[in-house]
Amino acid sequence: MDFTVFAQQIANGLVNGMAYVLIATGLTLVFGVLRIVNFAHGEFYMLGAYITYFVGTLLGLDYIAAAAISAVVVAGLGVVANKLIFWPLRRDHEFTILLSSLGLALLIANGGELLFGADPKYVESPFADEVLDIGTVTLTQQRILVFAAAVVALVAVYLFIRYSRFGKMMRATAQNPDGAALTGINIGLVHTYTFALACGLAALSGALVGPTVMIFPTIGNWAVLKGFIVVIMGGLGSVTGALFAGLLLGVIESLGGGYISLGFMEAIGYAMIIAVLLWRPNGLFSTARGLR
Amino acid sequence: MFGRRTLLAAAAALALAIPVAGTTGAQAQQPPVRIAVIGPMSGTGAFEGQLGLEGAQAMAAVINAKGGVAGRKLELLTYDDKGSPEDGVSAAKRAMEQDNVDMIIGGWFSAVALSMKEVTRDKIITVMTSSQHPKVTEEGHKYLFRLNATSAMMSEFYSKAICDRIKPKSIAFMNVNDDWGRLELDNYTKLLTACGIEVKGHEFYNRTDTDFTTALTKLKSLNADAIYVAAINTSQGATIYRQIKQTGYRGKVIASAGNMNPKLVELSGNSLEQVYSASPFTEDGSAPSLKPWLEQYRKDYKNEPSFIAALGAQAVQTLAFGVEAAGGDPRAYDKIAAALKSQEVPTVMGELRFSDKGQASQAIHLVQVQKKQIVSVRD
Repeated sequence: MDFTVFAQQIANGLVNGMAYVLIATGLTLVFGVLRIVNFAHGEFYMLGAYITYFVGTLLGLDYIAAAAISAVVVAGLGVVANKLIFWPLRRDHEFTILLSSLGLALLIANGGELLFGADPKYVESPFADEVLDIGTVTLTQQRILVFAAAVVALVAVYLFIRYSRFGKMMRATAQNPDGAALTGINIGLVHTYTFALACGLAALSGALVGPTVMIFPTIGNWAVLKGFIVVIMGGLGSVTGALFAGLLLGVIESLGGGYISLGFMEAIGYAMIIAVLLWRPNGLFSTARGLR
Repeated sequence: MFGRRTLLAAAAALALAIPVAGTTGAQAQQPPVRIAVIGPMSGTGAFEGQLGLEGAQAMAAVINAKGGVAGRKLELLTYDDKGSPEDGVSAAKRAMEQDNVDMIIGGWFSAVALSMKEVTRDKIITVMTSSQHPKVTEEGHKYLFRLNATSAMMSEFYSKAICDRIKPKSIAFMNVNDDWGRLELDNYTKLLTACGIEVKGHEFYNRTDTDFTTALTKLKSLNADAIYVAAINTSQGATIYRQIKQTGYRGKVIASAGNMNPKLVELSGNSLEQVYSASPFTEDGSAPSLKPWLEQYRKDYKNEPSFIAALGAQAVQTLAFGVEAAGGDPRAYDKIAAALKSQEVPTVMGELRFSDKGQASQAIHLVQVQKKQIVSVRD
């Protein structure tokens, strides 16, 4: 076996996997804390990429600033979506919420097609075409940035949930919303914060992955699908689970595509879900209810 | 619930109402010729669908401004096939059964054209556009016409250019995993091996893929002199051309015939510089109808005129020519088909000649990207 190719495929897989982790973290947070299955999550990823593009081209800001602005704006949009749809429906049946999120996803995707046009766009980044050779592995600076920025973002999210006051409120809500409310925690605020965080992360991953591919209004489908595979595999509500499952999916996809067949790359994700669920029905890292 | 009688009454009322609405709209004028444009208006092929539709609409505007065809205006109705055979079939059914259109333009992707032609078989004049699969016309029907050169015609021309002009010692293929992509691999493997180019291997990627690093890492490790990319879809193509450079590949890149467009060049950055392709469309062509169409297109749309848009225009011109030849009756299908097969049809890409099976012969040119412009390479 050619070691150079093997190492390159592992590196490709880790970068792709890290992008999956960023998408899945937001998805798993929203589920873990608020018990909402948000099908519109991929659309926030799409918006993240598009807003980075438009801030870059229309306002002429550099890529890093555009990505940061996009994350903040989409976090804000997440708050609005929560206020308009998810908060008013919080006492309704889970299916009602699930269907509403599906409706929101269609609305944003089709609205995006109308607003941004169907033509593919490219998010300019100064790091996109700069190739770095690390030993025998070749990666662009942008791909290294995807990995590094994701690590920083995930560590920050972890510390936030673990040690900050809001993080503790989120964890309390995840364990028992009524109990948390009785101790004086403002559940509405927790909703708002969780959505802002989740959508901000989705947008960040859109902004980071954007320059490695082309963007078009339906890329959200792809993102939410990968996100769900990772979340189900890692265990619903588990942030650590999302981290391991995301990296695992990325590496296995790239090795499977590289050494077995590209045609099976998509199938590998689903096969992994089935295998994991047969072995651990609640996902790799799931134990009891709560945010981990 | 509604009883059967209520439903029948409602259906009768509708049946009465429709012709009334039709006549009041047209009044003294003749009713328009209604043409369905079925294409990928959403999904990953949405941009190609948009370009084709724009090209068709610009040509319809040019023709309508001159008074239409035999005194009748052209009216285009748009349908979305989402690039999928199932949606293409249901769109064609809707156009024929519900909207009662006179003629159909469709078939941007081979897979869609192959299944859609069965629905329109011998029922309605159908112009297939960019699809290249030979079976579209080989197993076509008496009212079916296809504009694009088949992959066999394209590869015959293009393989000569690759052998004589680009001259790689060895080649690897990066093809989309569908009917057309597999056919391309077969064609070029035969033709290029025949002129002494070593074929080192191939990868098939899926139509839904967004990242190609895994496949390109494999192809790069083959150390071929050139990588041939068969990608129809602009967004996938642009990502592939960029990622080829990003994986550190420094060999030649060859773009498949018929799939070079200004948007692809714009999105691909510098990675398409000096890359060759073959195309029936060049902006410096000499057809008389090219200039008015280019002007109308630039006036109405912000995209640069492209081969796909030109095919849209060509489809409208073909239908208009047929209707004119049949004395203005868009339903005289036999007359229209006979006229199209017996006469040369003047279009934006020059004179078209249709075979008995409805296959057009187009002049194909070798093109190259130079300083982010697609220019025709002449000997």
